[in-house]
Amino acid sequence: MTTPTPTLAVKVLRAPRAHRTSLVFAIACGVVAVMTLAAVFAPFVAPYPPDAVDFTAVNAGPSAAHWLGTDGLGRDLLSRLVFGARTALLGPLLVVIGSTIIGMLLGLLAGWRGGWIDAVLGRVFDVLFAFPSLLLAIMAVALFGKGLVAPVIAMSIAYAPFVARLTRALVKAERTRPYVAAYRVQGFGGAWIAFRRVLPNVTPIVGAQSTLNFGYVLAELAGLSFLGLGVQPPTPDWGAMINEAQSGVAGGYFLPAIVPAVAVVLVVVAVNIIGEELSDRIGGGVPA
Amino acid sequence: MSRLLDIDGLTLELHDGTRLLEGISLSVAPGETVGLVGESGSGKSLTARTVLGLVPERSRLGGRVRLDGREVIGAPARDILDLRRHAAAMIFQDPRAGINPMRTIGDHLTETLRRCEGKSAAEARARAIELLADVQLPRPEEHFGQYPHEFSGGMLQRVMIAGALTSSPKLLICDEPTTALDVTTQAEIVRVLVELRERRGMGMLFITHDLNLAASLCDRVVVMSRGRVEESGDARRVFTAPEADYTRRLIEATPSIAVRSLDGEAEADASAPAGPMLEVRGLDKQYQLRGRPPVHAVVEAELEIPRGGSLGVVGESGSGKSTLARMIVGLEQPDRGEVRIAGRERSTAPRSRAERIAHAKSVQMVFQDPYLSLDPRIPAGRAIQDVLRLHGGLDRVAAEARALELLEAVGLGERHLAARPKTLSGGQRQRVAIARALAIEPELLVMDEATSALDVSVQAQVLDLVAQLRAQRGLTVLFISHDLGVVRRVCERAVVMRRGEIVEQGPSERLLREPEHPYTRLLVDSVPRPSWEAAA
Repeated sequence: MTTPTPTLAVKVLRAPRAHRTSLVFAIACGVVAVMTLAAVFAPFVAPYPPDAVDFTAVNAGPSAAHWLGTDGLGRDLLSRLVFGARTALLGPLLVVIGSTIIGMLLGLLAGWRGGWIDAVLGRVFDVLFAFPSLLLAIMAVALFGKGLVAPVIAMSIAYAPFVARLTRALVKAERTRPYVAAYRVQGFGGAWIAFRRVLPNVTPIVGAQSTLNFGYVLAELAGLSFLGLGVQPPTPDWGAMINEAQSGVAGGYFLPAIVPAVAVVLVVVAVNIIGEELSDRIGGGVPA
Repeated sequence: MSRLLDIDGLTLELHDGTRLLEGISLSVAPGETVGLVGESGSGKSLTARTVLGLVPERSRLGGRVRLDGREVIGAPARDILDLRRHAAAMIFQDPRAGINPMRTIGDHLTETLRRCEGKSAAEARARAIELLADVQLPRPEEHFGQYPHEFSGGMLQRVMIAGALTSSPKLLICDEPTTALDVTTQAEIVRVLVELRERRGMGMLFITHDLNLAASLCDRVVVMSRGRVEESGDARRVFTAPEADYTRRLIEATPSIAVRSLDGEAEADASAPAGPMLEVRGLDKQYQLRGRPPVHAVVEAELEIPRGGSLGVVGESGSGKSTLARMIVGLEQPDRGEVRIAGRERSTAPRSRAERIAHAKSVQMVFQDPYLSLDPRIPAGRAIQDVLRLHGGLDRVAAEARALELLEAVGLGERHLAARPKTLSGGQRQRVAIARALAIEPELLVMDEATSALDVSVQAQVLDLVAQLRAQRGLTVLFISHDLGVVRRVCERAVVMRRGEIVEQGPSERLLREPEHPYTRLLVDSVPRPSWEAAA
């Protein structure tokens, strides 16, 4: 029996349509790049130190001196936004890296070994899925204290099952591929094949999917600091900025709350666009 | 104008300017079968699809395509729909991909009848059952309510044919309709098609890569290569006295089972008399399936290959030949029985690293599909070096030099060292797979359908390579294939498997000439033969 191979006609008919999303994708990349650069070079980019108080301009609107205006304490919003980007971006980045490493290792173990290991890990993931990640983070804060470290670790664990589940499915599919059988016939050991060959082959797809988590984590961490459980003052942070601006909103000063909120939305949307585009390009639209 | 289909100077260009078809001309008369043959990528499917207006997005067409007296190119969508409904129908390679698995066979057939022909439910049902009987399915009434998963590939392809006939088309386009099927099933489908053509006076455009099949079925053939017509004419003339170089090469490359002179016998005796390289004794394997009776994949298999010899294992899908191969290379453990390679027991799973490596050194395997058996991320040179470093303990430089030697031995070169599988053609990939297997210098090489995913000319190259390696290195080969012609070309001896049992074994020439077991006879008789020879 011959395996049906797609003929030229089928390939041509199935060829993907031209990318109409490329402009949107480019803009999203631009947004993330600008934010990242601003965060890295904050001291050079920001016009003022983030905690410099200007009593002549409290809750001031945009002006030549303060492009985005000032908050209730007279601090420059643009500078706080730029410095705040550091924690806003660093937190999700660490969570994405952490959850990807944990998730891929567990997923590889479950998918490659199968059997009871797979069954046990599967139930553990189910339990973790049942916990809202924000709740887990709040619990971690309650146990280990406020700041960035506890929530980042808690959310790395909370997000790991998403990565693990995908990795497990991909590894399970990959395991049955003839190239893996070929490695076995050549005398390579199981661990070598799993770590050195199968894992790198699934990494691009898993990586692209992990990028999508960045946005969710950013929004959740911002929520955490809005509640006052995340990054502590005086370190500027977007979520904390919205919190501090609450009293101003009641007095009719919307800008100090809107500026960081828009920043959060912008980054989350941009990262999701990038993540989706990457998954489409790499994984051929593998559902998460 | 009596011609049913008339294609004149057809060209097809993609939006980026790539020209896929160049000046194709062919015609089909009512009641006539025209074969469209060529290797993959030659544009034969594309040509046929154009007839039904199935063209790639934003492509530009040139020339004329007249179907039943009406122009197809540039015709409004409504006219094309009408042509698809009444003038021509098409059946495809993989029947399972073309049918909705959630709906019954009856739904599949009556949908067209009710929507396009406006028949009532009862009329449609009666007609559908009639059609199922026409394609010689055994129990039409019962099949009507069955689901596709209850059908075998061959039965499903008959359903697809019945589906194509609902509109009583004047032209039936068959795009490799038997390629995914076993040879005995192919013979049944071809019989059905021939019978229908005769009864209905349909014209048929039959696309295939199999020259023997085209010769057995077609009145005229059109040979295509790289989007051009190389040669066309009366089938017998084209196959017996080809004019174009390409056709000649294609015919030479096609393995046939026609009885040869006795020079094959001499080869058979040339095998060295030393002890057997492979000894398989009472090998048995059952698969336990949940909720279903166990499948006896291999039953008490016995075989032996002398040093430097070659043995073919022939059988259809599900005959257990792949399971046998997987047990011999150690990918599966047998329930009972033993495998000895060069005198050593090799049927138990290796426990240590040293055992694993010793096992790999004794036997290597080349897999069916080179598109899947090479790691997509690893360049050819690296794949071979990994193996060399695992087995030979060579350092980086030595491994690189040896990898190049091996690539050269299989007809590749330095520029393929860094090539990823994606950038290599099917034949090149299979050469890399062979080089990788040879790097270990195994005592036995198992080739599991190693050429069936390849075009005939590439297959011929790979088979020549295997013959050459056997002559040079005294390699022992176990060659598994569904194709009798290929097995004959490679192996002195062959065994025939059916449902896990070895039904017959002997020199391959004898098996082809005087098959003893009825199943072997059926297999041999199912291989398509040129119509002019069959008549004689």
